[in-house]
Amino acid sequence: MESRGLDFVVLNQGFVSVNGRVLEHEAEGNALLSELYRGHIGDWPKFFKMDTLSKAGFVATELLLKEIGEPRCGSEEFIRSRAIVLFGSTASLCADRNYQETIQDKDNYYPSPALFVYTLPNIVTGEIAIRNHWRGESSFYVLETPDVEQMAFHLACAFQDNDTESILAGWVDSTMNDDFQAFMTVIRKEDVADVDRLAAQLQLIINDLNN
Amino acid sequence: MSQRSVLITGCGIVSAIGQDCGQVLDSLLQVRTGVGPLKYLKTEHTEFPVGEVKLSDEEMERMMNIAPGTPTTRTALMGMIALHEALGEAKLSREDLKECGFVNGTTVGGMDKSEQFYLDFIENDSRNAYISTHDCGSCSEMIADRFGRFKMITTISTACSSAANAIEMAADMIRLGEADIVVAGGSECITKFHLNGFNSLMILDHNQCRPFDAERAGLNLGEGAAFVVLEEAGHAAARNARALARLSGYGNACDAFHQTASSPDGEGAYLAMSKALKEAGLKPSDIDYVNAHGTGTPNNDESESQAMMRVFGKDLPPVSSTKSMTGHTTSASGAIETVICILALRNGFIPVNYAFEHPMENGIVPNMDLQKGCKLRHVLCNSFGFGGNDSSLVLSAVE
Amino acid sequence: MEELILKLKQEIIEVLNLEDVKPEDIDNDAPLFGEGLGLDSIDALELIVLMEKNYGIKLQDPAKGKEIFKSINVMADFIQKNRTR
Repeated sequence: MESRGLDFVVLNQGFVSVNGRVLEHEAEGNALLSELYRGHIGDWPKFFKMDTLSKAGFVATELLLKEIGEPRCGSEEFIRSRAIVLFGSTASLCADRNYQETIQDKDNYYPSPALFVYTLPNIVTGEIAIRNHWRGESSFYVLETPDVEQMAFHLACAFQDNDTESILAGWVDSTMNDDFQAFMTVIRKEDVADVDRLAAQLQLIINDLNN
Repeated sequence: MSQRSVLITGCGIVSAIGQDCGQVLDSLLQVRTGVGPLKYLKTEHTEFPVGEVKLSDEEMERMMNIAPGTPTTRTALMGMIALHEALGEAKLSREDLKECGFVNGTTVGGMDKSEQFYLDFIENDSRNAYISTHDCGSCSEMIADRFGRFKMITTISTACSSAANAIEMAADMIRLGEADIVVAGGSECITKFHLNGFNSLMILDHNQCRPFDAERAGLNLGEGAAFVVLEEAGHAAARNARALARLSGYGNACDAFHQTASSPDGEGAYLAMSKALKEAGLKPSDIDYVNAHGTGTPNNDESESQAMMRVFGKDLPPVSSTKSMTGHTTSASGAIETVICILALRNGFIPVNYAFEHPMENGIVPNMDLQKGCKLRHVLCNSFGFGGNDSSLVLSAVE
Repeated sequence: MEELILKLKQEIIEVLNLEDVKPEDIDNDAPLFGEGLGLDSIDALELIVLMEKNYGIKLQDPAKGKEIFKSINVMADFIQKNRTR
């Protein structure tokens, strides 16, 4: 089989690149996500309601799909065969903190429903699925570190059903509003035929993320 | 490609209706709800009935022989009790675990201690030992490490379908040939954090919850843990392990509709159930019982009703939501209800949908009378989570 | 009333993160949900929190929100009549 590199986007609070090409930007931190949204996306105002984890996952996915040139939605068969498998180490820690602030003070006790929703780390997979109408499998794994072997293994497992043909896969993590890391790539069935090779490819992407 | 067959050779459970399989079975057969006034969680929100595990942290520590003062969490403690029972039933020793995988589903993690000591974390160092108990990953390790060193530990966090997805993940690992035994399930305790959160979403019933009732007004939060031992059929036969049930199919699909609300036609749930049936090679009419997700919220029960009617049409088997007795055990619910399904299969009965009175318009009517002496072949277990994450498992009787 | 309406619009924009919306963009009679601002069920819950936090009005039944959040005019009118702070 012809060897093929994975398409990928890497993103953190001060850096963004698409297939290794660095995107110029002015803002840093959370404002970088808004800048990227305004410059490259612009037609999904619900973006501004998301927590940092979802924003980072959403922006990275949008940039990736644009790069690949994949048409949005696609056929009924396609949307049922596209899975989303994401990984992260601190789950929803950032959103947990923001929400906790709304219930911490007895005299200013107004739990926020919008903040609570994002204390579930897998809401980011939901946000991406809603945008693209993808109806395949979706999951979020908590890994201590971005362990590529474990990721490759979980991705191989996700193809065990008869429906999944491709997976939006990535790492998303955010401990604070101005601190986040993400990478996003699309894995096809043939990519998991050699799990070690897939792990090596993911490692290259992570190296880029850690630049 | 011939598919490796996945059996269940052990299960353990702790919930509001019992602290092991025997007690839970007894409660189901006596139709005894575990939902009642709040007792163990320290909060001002005493107006909400809950399905608490009727044990204090200290009592659980004693049961698990944990030295007082050791940093631990309620989620981890409940997980240990359930895992202990599951491993015991499957007759797995400390030595055996070196070859086994462990997949845990949890979302809240160690939040119970974090919220208790939140101000200490910020203001002083007195409770810093608990900071490392906060995240979901360390929670899985605490549960697993109590019994030995597993070959691999994974944590999955997909809200209220976490434990069902942990079981699916475990089965994938076995089918892929990565392991012959994987223990999977979930654990979650009630915390102020998500009691307040669900309250802010205005989906908590101030009374006993009434899944699928026309006058249902929300869910009751519950807590608990359950684990099942999944084992490749040949491996189980070789070591003479007793099979309790077979996991014959499973499916996960995304509703892709809204962050928290389910779609009116239950598309995600419909796809998950259809996938699970297809994988099991079964027709809808082969299913003898459905353990519904049935939270008791107006939105879920209506959407799930639609999805079940789409899947089963005129062949709708008896349906019940056992959350009416356990409360909604959130991330653990998929495993708790899987164990309940196994109990139903093995003991030939159909659990009751407690507290149901008024049929909703254009909805399903759940099972209200305890049916005993039934021969159940295949049962379906639904678990749905926020984020539109919908899972369905098919469990089958073994000869 | 004019003053309350403007204040309310500013509060809604802030609490619902309507980033690119200005007070003058919101028509006083246009529906807040569905068409119009395109708000959803979680936004409705946030508006219920807003009414309690800023105006001391406690809504027990989320379904009642549907009536009150029909438009800015209806919402301002309800607040005017029921506010405790």
